[in-house]
Amino acid sequence: AAAGLCPCRALLPGALPALRRSLRGFAAGPQTHFGFQTVTEAERREKIYQVFESVADKYDVMNDSMTLGIHRVWKDILVHKMNPSPGTLLLDVAGGTGDIAFRFINYVRSVRERQLQRKLKRHQNLSWQEIAESYQEDQFKSLGDSQVVVCDINREMLRVGKQKAQDLGYSEGLSWVLGNAEELPFDDDKFDVYTIAFGIRNVTRIDLALQEAYRVLKPGGRFLCLEFSRVSNPLLSRLYDLYSFQVIPVLGEVIAGDWKSYRYLVESIRRFPPQEEFKAMIEDAGFFKVDYQNLSSGIVAIHSGFKL
Amino acid sequence: KMAAVAAGSLRRAGWRLWQGRAVVRCQLSPPQRALQASAVLRRVSDEQKKEPSASSSQQQFDSHPTDQQPEQEPQGPIPSYTGQGGQESEDYESEEQLQHRILTAALEFVPEHGWTAEAIAEGAKTLGLSVAAAGMFHSDGSELILHFVSQCNTKLSELLEQEQKQVQLGEAEKKPIDQFLRDAVEARLRMLIPYIEKWPQALSILLLPHNIPSSLNLLTSMIDDIWHYAGDQSTDFNWYTRRAVLTGIYNTTELVMMQDSSPDFEETWRFLENRVADAMNMDNTANQVQSTGEAVVQGLMGAALTVSHAETSRAVR
Repeated sequence: AAAGLCPCRALLPGALPALRRSLRGFAAGPQTHFGFQTVTEAERREKIYQVFESVADKYDVMNDSMTLGIHRVWKDILVHKMNPSPGTLLLDVAGGTGDIAFRFINYVRSVRERQLQRKLKRHQNLSWQEIAESYQEDQFKSLGDSQVVVCDINREMLRVGKQKAQDLGYSEGLSWVLGNAEELPFDDDKFDVYTIAFGIRNVTRIDLALQEAYRVLKPGGRFLCLEFSRVSNPLLSRLYDLYSFQVIPVLGEVIAGDWKSYRYLVESIRRFPPQEEFKAMIEDAGFFKVDYQNLSSGIVAIHSGFKL
Repeated sequence: KMAAVAAGSLRRAGWRLWQGRAVVRCQLSPPQRALQASAVLRRVSDEQKKEPSASSSQQQFDSHPTDQQPEQEPQGPIPSYTGQGGQESEDYESEEQLQHRILTAALEFVPEHGWTAEAIAEGAKTLGLSVAAAGMFHSDGSELILHFVSQCNTKLSELLEQEQKQVQLGEAEKKPIDQFLRDAVEARLRMLIPYIEKWPQALSILLLPHNIPSSLNLLTSMIDDIWHYAGDQSTDFNWYTRRAVLTGIYNTTELVMMQDSSPDFEETWRFLENRVADAMNMDNTANQVQSTGEAVVQGLMGAALTVSHAETSRAVR
């Protein structure tokens, strides 16, 4: 891994002096990484908060330009894999601008429509009395009791998300909560599904986040994580590195006026553990039937586990 | 599994060192997953008090302060663990057993929802699990159908074994072959009656390419079972012909049953009777065909010899 980082380090003028600085002084608190720098945990949380505060407004635009729109497909695949049925309670952590939440609502709505159509077909032979009773029972709710709670640590991201929901017309079954993934403000055994899309690599203590995920899920509940991961194909890996370190920060400067944040983004992807290691971490938190699915040959992976 | 967990934990320890963390936690060697109080995988010993006992030990674990290392083992009631490795310790059921329980519970919802992930979700709900547990299975309901078929086959085997015991004990008469086959196939097909409306859907799913190996496997082992209890001990080509014939009878009768609307499926059983009778006749015919075949071959050989003799004698003359 160190050998792979060397050509990249040549491109990052700031990293080496920063490393030397941290080696010289001994900062209080456990050391961790911020991109390729070494910082304390408290500093890391602060820096990440600032990163997302500054990119919040341009977050969606940057996603589209960096991934050439493929991130939409990845998120669609995540929700399809979830295959939620009406009545599911979803917790979307680090859900910021609401992409997963909106997709969830759309999916559940269409499943519910099909269910209602099937019910109506069977209702063809009922008497008028029975039909009247079924209307009173209010069975024709469009979401069927499904709900999604979007939780994010960053106020700006939540603000952008709420605005988007208003613009796109999502009102039912959606709630926005400010919270830290390492210490969720929810009771035990509450949610059917916990998702975290492109958020867990920004969490400082991933093990705590996984434990919290385990805690708030109902027995039988599912943990789903969509995150950047290791590309195994060496040729693709070189192209990907080239694109990440040369193109993305430039796009960041041009579109969002902030190349440092996007350099952090690219570095944080390289720092995140590969598929198998992350799978082991999820298993450690107590999840069973942990598995992962590579998308785009490993650029992104969906990890799934069950609380059994 | 143990080696993988140990390797994984070593890797993680190395990763943290690289990051510069001061604390390195010593990993204990036995796999920790069976020891963590699982929320649902229950002890095989106490059937009844599954959720309350599991959740209470879970809460005990959570009451520990959150800044402790996650690998710390819960101080709650630890079951007698004999270190057999993986999730299959003596006291906890495995994931497969839980999956079987969910599928069995889901069968009751099939008449309403069909062989779908919805039925599995409802089944999971009755066990006290979240509907998301249906995500453990394929979304087209294949596992549910395969589970059902395998359950039916097991029931059939038990039935046939009981009948055999009765015959051995002299409590019942040994049936003639055609009667035996008829009764066995009828008993097996009757198990489909509660689900008959949605069975065509199940058949079509079983024919999907990714399901064919498993469904074919289940079918052939069931047919094999029936012939075994029928007393078939052939070791020649008959073994294959008998199984092929019975498979054909079973499949065609099943299809007839789908279309049958007569009371208690009388038409189907009559169809079955005719097919089995045909098969018995075919057996005789097969022998006849074989001997006729041999006779024909001998005749041809004789004719060929005669012709060649005539040729040589003409040549000599």
